[in-house]
Amino acid sequence: MNGARRIMKTSLVAAATALVALGTGAGTAHAKDYLLTSVKPDTLVLVDTAARKVEKAYKVPDAEPGVLTITPSPDGKTAYVLVNRWESISGIDLDSGKQVFRADFSSGEERVKGMFGMDISPDGSEIAVYQSPVALGLGEYEVKPTRIAFYDTSAGTDAEPVRTIPVPRQITLIMYSADGSKLYGLGRAVYVIDPKTGDILDEHKTQSWDRENFAPPDILDVWSQWEQAGVMVTPYYTARTDMDPMDPEAYVTGILSLDLKTGAFDLSDVENTDIFYFSSVASPTDPDIVFGAYSQLSKFDTSAGKALGRVDLDHSYYAINISSDGKEVYVGGTLGDISVHDAETLEKIGSIEMPGGASQGISSVRIIER
Amino acid sequence: MKHLKPANAKAEKFAEAAENGQTEEVRLMQTIAGCTATLDPGWEVDAFGGVAALCQPMEADLYGCSDPCWWPAQVADTLNTYPNWNNDAPATEKDWRKLNSVYPEKG
Repeated sequence: MNGARRIMKTSLVAAATALVALGTGAGTAHAKDYLLTSVKPDTLVLVDTAARKVEKAYKVPDAEPGVLTITPSPDGKTAYVLVNRWESISGIDLDSGKQVFRADFSSGEERVKGMFGMDISPDGSEIAVYQSPVALGLGEYEVKPTRIAFYDTSAGTDAEPVRTIPVPRQITLIMYSADGSKLYGLGRAVYVIDPKTGDILDEHKTQSWDRENFAPPDILDVWSQWEQAGVMVTPYYTARTDMDPMDPEAYVTGILSLDLKTGAFDLSDVENTDIFYFSSVASPTDPDIVFGAYSQLSKFDTSAGKALGRVDLDHSYYAINISSDGKEVYVGGTLGDISVHDAETLEKIGSIEMPGGASQGISSVRIIER
Repeated sequence: MKHLKPANAKAEKFAEAAENGQTEEVRLMQTIAGCTATLDPGWEVDAFGGVAALCQPMEADLYGCSDPCWWPAQVADTLNTYPNWNNDAPATEKDWRKLNSVYPEKG
């Protein structure tokens, strides 16, 4: 079936944001791509993608059981990583390997987890992290309201939040708009948040969409990987409610996209749901071209609402990213390798082994230019 | 179940459930609706009711599921209680034999 159709094309374009569109990903003439990932239980890994080899491995202090979200600074010099049972951010200088920033969320009476959502402001001055606090009483635990905490990136190794804002529960990813004036939160909807005041400025419906004859979509994405195109894309899964639920054709896979430069939000059905994708990435040379990964690697054209190709992968991978020229796709996470694929044919063209073959688990996979 | 005989006590429970008309209860527990809210009961199925769309191989999924506490009933809780459970087994395909059961500390 190719019953794809395009829906809910909305645009929140602010004219000013277009002026900064050229800023994302711009590097020096000699800058080249490096990939950041991590391996169990405490190591951040810098990969030279062209050479297909690990350039450096950094042991992150007090990181166990692993490194979760990786957020590179805009200048590519520092990587901020969510570690320590997701209760701390460690900032690692990628040249010296030293920890230059540390924020420990929890205190004696309050246990605070940062579950996945983290981003850095486009000017590199603030880290925003989604936090889920629990008050630890003597006889009971009290679940406290979720929030986004902001940290000054120059605060050193004993950083405290400069402010917090209350935000809805169940947000898994947060990302700044390209001009830094907004924060987007992917949860039960896509929330548009004022990072200064915490006001919810707008809300793009997902779980509560009013799409006739379609069930609410299932969306779960915990991998931050939008830096190359400046567009966050994630798979969604829905079903036709006007069809027999036993009919395999009733199930539909789509791609949600959010342009961080213009604010444009889009939902495009791309194929019948016969397999799954854990995460996806948009091409920097054509953001309508989207790649999705799990046990297969697929390529979609969201403007046409169709799949362009699919290959089987050697094993399941959670995460995916793409080179700055749009020619190579990297799938990672789960086990101890990055699989490199031709973006045109999807054919496997390389592999990068992690130190000691250690597993990446649920680590994100980021691309920086240095 | 005519051609299958339960090999252990858990399998016996499954057979009893089928004989007692409780298969719908088992089916409901297939529904994956989140993490600790469901306490996945010891098995996992994909959205098609099978296993083909689960991670291949299972070791690829082990740390991605244990570290965010997705499988709290099956593996140690590294998010809170046993953060070092898999520290000595960084490569899950090679090291899985080093992963042990955990028990509450005495006293």
